[in-house]
Amino acid sequence: MIVDKKKIKTNVNLAVEIGSLKIKNPVMTASGTFGYGEEYAGYVDLNLLGAIVVKGLSLKPRLGNPPPRIMETAGGMLNAVGLQNIGVDIFIEEKLPFLQNHDVAVIANIYGESYLEYQKVAGKLSSVKGVHALEVNVSCPNVKKGGLSFGSDPKAAAEVTRRVKGETNLPVIVKLTPNVTDIAAIAQSVEKAGADAVSLINTLAGMSVDLKTRTPHLKNITGGLSGPAIKPVALRMVWQVVNRVSIPVIGIGGIMNAEDALEFLILGAKAVQIGTANFINPRATLDVIEGIKKYLFDNKIKDINEIIGTFKS
Amino acid sequence: MARDIYIGEILSNEEIQKEYFLMKVKFASSFDDPLPGQFVMIRIAGLNDPFLSRPISIYSFSRGKNYCSIELLYRVAGKGTQILAGLIKSSQVEIHGPLGGSFEIDESKKQIIFIAGGIGIAPLSLLAEYLGRNVCLSKESMSFYLGAQTADAIVGLDKLQKLCYHIQVCTDDGSVGRKGLVTEAFQKNMNKYSAAVTMIYACGPKAMLKTLSKILSGSKFHCQVSLEERMACGTGACMGCAIAISDNQGNLTYKRVCADGPVFDIQQIVWE
Repeated sequence: MIVDKKKIKTNVNLAVEIGSLKIKNPVMTASGTFGYGEEYAGYVDLNLLGAIVVKGLSLKPRLGNPPPRIMETAGGMLNAVGLQNIGVDIFIEEKLPFLQNHDVAVIANIYGESYLEYQKVAGKLSSVKGVHALEVNVSCPNVKKGGLSFGSDPKAAAEVTRRVKGETNLPVIVKLTPNVTDIAAIAQSVEKAGADAVSLINTLAGMSVDLKTRTPHLKNITGGLSGPAIKPVALRMVWQVVNRVSIPVIGIGGIMNAEDALEFLILGAKAVQIGTANFINPRATLDVIEGIKKYLFDNKIKDINEIIGTFKS
Repeated sequence: MARDIYIGEILSNEEIQKEYFLMKVKFASSFDDPLPGQFVMIRIAGLNDPFLSRPISIYSFSRGKNYCSIELLYRVAGKGTQILAGLIKSSQVEIHGPLGGSFEIDESKKQIIFIAGGIGIAPLSLLAEYLGRNVCLSKESMSFYLGAQTADAIVGLDKLQKLCYHIQVCTDDGSVGRKGLVTEAFQKNMNKYSAAVTMIYACGPKAMLKTLSKILSGSKFHCQVSLEERMACGTGACMGCAIAISDNQGNLTYKRVCADGPVFDIQQIVWE
């Protein structure tokens, strides 16, 4: 028998549970940064990921915002893509079969402009095989209707959660916006409404100005800031939320490497999502998984769950 | 198709003309042979400002014994390219690619016309080389219209002269070649070409391509253009590099320059 020494050497448990969703490691892709998985399949063995969160899906295909849609900033970028997507039906027909061929949890990120639209998208995704959880986007800063208004009002966020829960038996994760006064209040509100987990943060609303033309760099004028620049804000918000809810929290925001991911886990996030890092390093997710393994091994920790929520303040 | 991120070693990085640089980078030989029109994403590892990789089209490609190398012809346009321009021999860069689609080649088109503005020469030069070598088109069958604002911005002419027989250089100020827009120079000669056997390939500033699109509208000429856009991922995931396209039913849709392009049929593009 051939013994893979490297494998034994780093034999640590990385599996975590997000409510009833069991995943092989705590590293997911963030919605909108990994397409439908196939865009990165050449770079990353998708079977190694904890979960793939697909690009946000709406009931009908969405055109998205006119360009320019992105602008680089110090330590990050602004985007105003406006949820351009193929719609839930085409996703199920054309994109899901590819993901079903992999041994990886698929989380469908959903978006609606009305309660009914959220319900319908959730219903469609719950009636097919191969979707393991729903992530409800109540927080996109780049669309005119719905989106942000649902996520910034505790009552509306709770109502979306209740309606989606009523349509599905899948675990429901609610993705929260940082563009609010008290993110923990929204988290508590969706917890009461039945959310199985919350994920945070989505992008921070921002903008930038072209000095030559004195116009905005983005056609949409404002966009969502992501990348390492937002990590301290994300950490602060995750910390506030884990102290106020008892459902699992998924940490997102500027994670570029394993050290960044571990900060979120130590604060109490059960899992993390890698977003903008994929753009500059298509293998960022795998690098984070390997880095976490190494950290655990070096610190003689056998199980990732032993460090989650061990923050001392 | 396993893809990788390559650590490239800079063999040379010279300012060939004011603000125009030619960088030669060497990396592992597992890199796929690029097709004309494809590009790479390039960045300096660990840098947070500028944060994103830069998409740069491939100007030339060659294989050595255990390595391959590419040449990138680029103009210093902002912070990212400024930093690239400062890299010295033996510096390292991160590269992935070749990315995007390539120019479509129709072997029934025996007459090739290239129209480039400034740095737009880069992908077209690789294409001319490819057509000469792989499709066996003669130098005489390829005509190149190359325009720029001034003589300072005309680059890559030496290489071009080995590939194409008819070269028309134009500058806005007349400092070299014909005075006026490159699109005007083409328009003047347009009736000399037969649309049935001619393919037009163009790359340059949006204003130039938009003008060309007007000149060609209503004609039977087939014209493919390579577009440039701000990009984050280069792989089709971020949807950042959108371009407005009119689909077959005439509906507006946004395509990704990186993954659906960078080459498009000029008549499909909806200009602002």
